[in-house]
Amino acid sequence: MDKLIFKVRNIKKVYNNKIVLDVHNLNFQEGKIYAIVGPNGSGKTTLLNILNLLEKADEGQIFFYDQEITNKSNSDILEIRRRITLVNQNPFLFNSTVYDNIAYGLKIRSISPKVQKSKIRSALNIVGLSDFEDRKANQLSGGEAQRVVIARALVIEPEVLFLDEPTANIDQKHIDVVERIIKKIKEEIKTTVIFSTHDLSQAYRLADEVISLLDGKIIKQVPENLLQGEIVEENGLKRFKTMGNIKFAIVSKKVGLAYISIDPRDIILSYEQFQSSARNSFLGKITKIIEQNHLVKLEIDISIPLVVIITRESFFEMNLNLGSKVYLTFKASAVKLY
Amino acid sequence: MDFIIEGIRKAFHLIFTLDSEIFSIVLLSLRVSLTAVILASLLGVYLGFLMAVKDYWGKRFSVALVNTLLALPTVVIGLIVYSLVSRRGPLGIFGLLYTPSAMIIGQFILAVPIIIALTHSAVQGIDKRVRNTALTLGATEAQSAWMVIKEARYAVLAAVITGFGRVIAEVGAAMMLGGNIKGSTRVMTTAIALESTKGEFGFAIALGIILLFVAFSINILLHYFQSKRV
Repeated sequence: MDKLIFKVRNIKKVYNNKIVLDVHNLNFQEGKIYAIVGPNGSGKTTLLNILNLLEKADEGQIFFYDQEITNKSNSDILEIRRRITLVNQNPFLFNSTVYDNIAYGLKIRSISPKVQKSKIRSALNIVGLSDFEDRKANQLSGGEAQRVVIARALVIEPEVLFLDEPTANIDQKHIDVVERIIKKIKEEIKTTVIFSTHDLSQAYRLADEVISLLDGKIIKQVPENLLQGEIVEENGLKRFKTMGNIKFAIVSKKVGLAYISIDPRDIILSYEQFQSSARNSFLGKITKIIEQNHLVKLEIDISIPLVVIITRESFFEMNLNLGSKVYLTFKASAVKLY
Repeated sequence: MDFIIEGIRKAFHLIFTLDSEIFSIVLLSLRVSLTAVILASLLGVYLGFLMAVKDYWGKRFSVALVNTLLALPTVVIGLIVYSLVSRRGPLGIFGLLYTPSAMIIGQFILAVPIIIALTHSAVQGIDKRVRNTALTLGATEAQSAWMVIKEARYAVLAAVITGFGRVIAEVGAAMMLGGNIKGSTRVMTTAIALESTKGEFGFAIALGIILLFVAFSINILLHYFQSKRV
């Protein structure tokens, strides 16, 4: 059970002189579910594509079981390619029926039509689309299409199933369905699943292990309040502009694109805005309250969501509720730059 | 005016009585043009596909060249092939001039650039994810290439049909290379050209109607395949 199915050693990938992936040591065990988390552009898709042999790494080695597969040509590793499969972020369905789409992987493996049929039935059953066989692929909704491509991947009984952002482009109802399917794959088929997501809570809900990537590197812990944006200079002061156009005062020497994180324990809550040395103060609304032992984790919307952690004592003393409007105050030096 | 009406009346008579001379001409036309287009498709679809998916030195030039060849006049093709297959030409020993084979060669040259150019644009228009999807499902390089062609099938078929429409209606190469020999190399277009100068309007109009019918059928087919493109 503890066999290593994939070993990654010192992999580097460079696009346009920028290192997009730089992973020193990463192991994947048979039968487990792994989540790769990180913001857009952190290297998740590149890592999945390299593991799935669609892209080549510029440096380093990859082992599938104990066989090195780095920089082998497609035909050399056909046998290994046929033991793993990847479901893309924007899944592509061939212009034919659902049945023919799912049959493709079986056809190219020269599996008899009779066996194909029963395998396709059970794959459709797993994703809950039993009566979709004859549907035209181009008439499916986004969520249905996502389930069909998962069935198309499962039908070839891969030893490793890669899913790139399986819930990124579908509605909430289908997110739940896809999450249930991933759990079912673990329980019933015991395939190793490696999926990427930018939803941290989804990663922890589904995965046995969470791997977080930032700027192509694996980081030990996923920081809370991780934001992507741009450092700009205004009147001689450095500001971090988020994608949602909120500006934080920060301490920085450089300008340009960057990631920041704000430790949720460094944020002070108050009902009134107060005079202090802290450079950042925003009004927000509490949207989520989660109790964690003697601490309380709050999600506060300041037009982007921020997580704040305070003690239970403070929480009750301030009499905070869902929808309460509070000021968030933190120092420019509380913003950690990556 | 009377001769036109008389011609049309005679034309329908020839068509509905299944006149043997008319139909042998029609059959020869179809045989020559279909052979030329099938051969041209084998080469043209392959080259058009490679041009779309491969990166190679001189790619832009080759695309421009193929597009230029689309405008190749049929009489120029006739001239080139004539000089090759005539008795004094390098292929003279095969005695191809004034045979259906020479016409097939001419029509082949006419159709290949059309099929290359249209296949090229058809395959270029295919989603880049097709190849990757096939590969991730375990396809070999050849199987993934075949899947790309399959996804482009309607547009590729449209390319082949367009090529056929071009060669069945051309007259220059057929005339120069076939020589319009009765019962041997006389096809619809060359027969129309000859019969109308001879004053045999009924005969010419009958062939004209059939040619129009073929062209119409081709367009219906084309329209059908183009509407299937998603």
